Amino acid sequence: MTAERGEEIRNIIGIYHLSKRYNEKFALDDINLHVANGEFVFLVGPSGAGKSTLLKLIYMDDFPTEGQVIVGPFVSTQMKRSKVSLLRRKIGVVFQSFRLLYDRDVFENVAIAMRVTGESSYEIKKKVAQVLTQVGLYHKRNEMPSTLSGGEQQRIAIARAVVNSPAVLLADEPTGNLDPEVTEEILKLLFHINAGGTAVLMATHDLALVKQFGQRILFLRDGRLQEDKILGYKGDLSQRLERIQKDPGRFGPGWNPGTK
Amino acid sequence: MNWNQATYLMREAFRTMNRQRAVTIVSVAIMSLSLLILAVFLMITDNMMLLMDRSKDEMKLYVYLDDGLTNEQMNAAYNGIIRMEAVDELVFISKDEAFAEFRAQLGEESELLEALETNPLPASFRVSVKDVYKETATLETLASTIGRLDGVAEVNYGKEFIERFSSITHAVLYVDMVVGLIVILSSLFIIANTVHLAVVSRKETIEILKLVGATNRFITTPFFIEGAFQGGIAALISLAALSAIFGAGRNAVPGLVFFSPDKAVIFVLVCIAMGALGSLAALRRYLRIEIG
Ligand SMILES: Nc1ncnc2c1ncn2[C@@H]1O[C@H](COP(=O)(O)OP(=O)(O)O)[C@@H](O)[C@H]1O
Ligand SMILES: [Mg+2]
Repeated sequence: MTAERGEEIRNIIGIYHLSKRYNEKFALDDINLHVANGEFVFLVGPSGAGKSTLLKLIYMDDFPTEGQVIVGPFVSTQMKRSKVSLLRRKIGVVFQSFRLLYDRDVFENVAIAMRVTGESSYEIKKKVAQVLTQVGLYHKRNEMPSTLSGGEQQRIAIARAVVNSPAVLLADEPTGNLDPEVTEEILKLLFHINAGGTAVLMATHDLALVKQFGQRILFLRDGRLQEDKILGYKGDLSQRLERIQKDPGRFGPGWNPGTK
Repeated sequence: MNWNQATYLMREAFRTMNRQRAVTIVSVAIMSLSLLILAVFLMITDNMMLLMDRSKDEMKLYVYLDDGLTNEQMNAAYNGIIRMEAVDELVFISKDEAFAEFRAQLGEESELLEALETNPLPASFRVSVKDVYKETATLETLASTIGRLDGVAEVNYGKEFIERFSSITHAVLYVDMVVGLIVILSSLFIIANTVHLAVVSRKETIEILKLVGATNRFITTPFFIEGAFQGGIAALISLAALSAIFGAGRNAVPGLVFFSPDKAVIFVLVCIAMGALGSLAALRRYLRIEIG
């Protein structure tokens, strides 16, 4: 796969000689990789491999000990704290524990991501209704999250993550708390979102799940990137690559971490 | 920050206060009470200052002349005084006028004066001083300068009264500052405490807000609104209580006046600013971590 990638592919994420140490211990060790606009990538590895750490460094909740992370126009080594909020508006993040506001209803849980950007309540109503319909929960917009099932709660979290049309969606074990049937639903939703042009990077320790869907897979173990390959892909690889190459990306032309 | 964000954050501030209603009410109540104590002291001071101002209007020097001066000598004394920079107005009171005034003051008992063979009262000048010179120290030098002029027997200016009055006013001002400091510090502490509780209870929400791209300003604004609002409400409550006390006190102390509207507004504004400052104290740790 790496050999097939040329300069013409626009990347949304570029990672260069990235290391992260916590008290002398490497959580990540010299990672190099790119994620293209509109790509779907699984990040697989056992518990403690560094998956969550890698995602954290991408949404810049923490910064590398060495090396560089580039997301669209945002460069980790030149990042000001005040700019992190602008990056977050271009990245959706979903966790295993759904991290919802349990004192707000479903609508407000999704709307919050638009409140921070200062959208009008008209815009908010329209867009939230649209994504809630997309995740199949529009009819539950006035309910409190605690009354919903785990799968439904995760779908609200996903709706919140994508309501600002992010360039990339990061999902850290999003199905870790869910039944197999619900897991499949959530994954279908993520693929559906990906089809709309949002790149998806999903971390999981469940290799069986990944094999079932087949995608580009990054294998992480002890903080090292061991493999980067396409596994069990059932469609036409060249078609897939073509779609990725044509994708203009959510940051617009001119930004390409891969060519920096 | 745009209008949508501003209105949203305003609603959020009131939502938080409503959620921890009991804490909010208790802290506003305690603050109102301590602000009331401060307001009482300030009103007493204010009244004393007004009284002082008014007594300054009456502040005059009485220059008593030696007996038996010639017209020329009196003119020389007059010219010597009127030339002085601090002097505003100078009125001559002759021996006869002084006697007539004295007689008028005695009223029915003025018959007593018939026993006198000569007029014992001296001729005098009543000296009005320009406002800027109405300070005890200035009056003292002015009095001694005038006292050294030829033909002047004695200069009088109510020294004791002025000194005692101004020393009381200074003492009250000192108490004001001490009480003010205590009240302001304790109010800051109370507000910092309620806002801190609000921050802790919203920790999860703050994490999520950061995740979806909220700026620090967006996150902290509701807490500033909360502090400012509590400071303002406490100020209004204490002023209302003060006016009730004032209503009762006016009968006991005639001439007592309430804060002028502009002073009341300043009091409320200062309390609002103090509330925001209390929030800042609570958020300081948070801000230092987040903004660094
Ligand atoms: N904040 C932290 N402080 C210290 N060590 C950490 C911290 N975060 C992660 N680690 C360590 O880094 C390694 C990778 O953790 P993590 O990224 O959570 O792995 P994964 O998500 O793949 O299970 C682990 O050994 C973990 O203990
Ligand atoms: Mg993890």
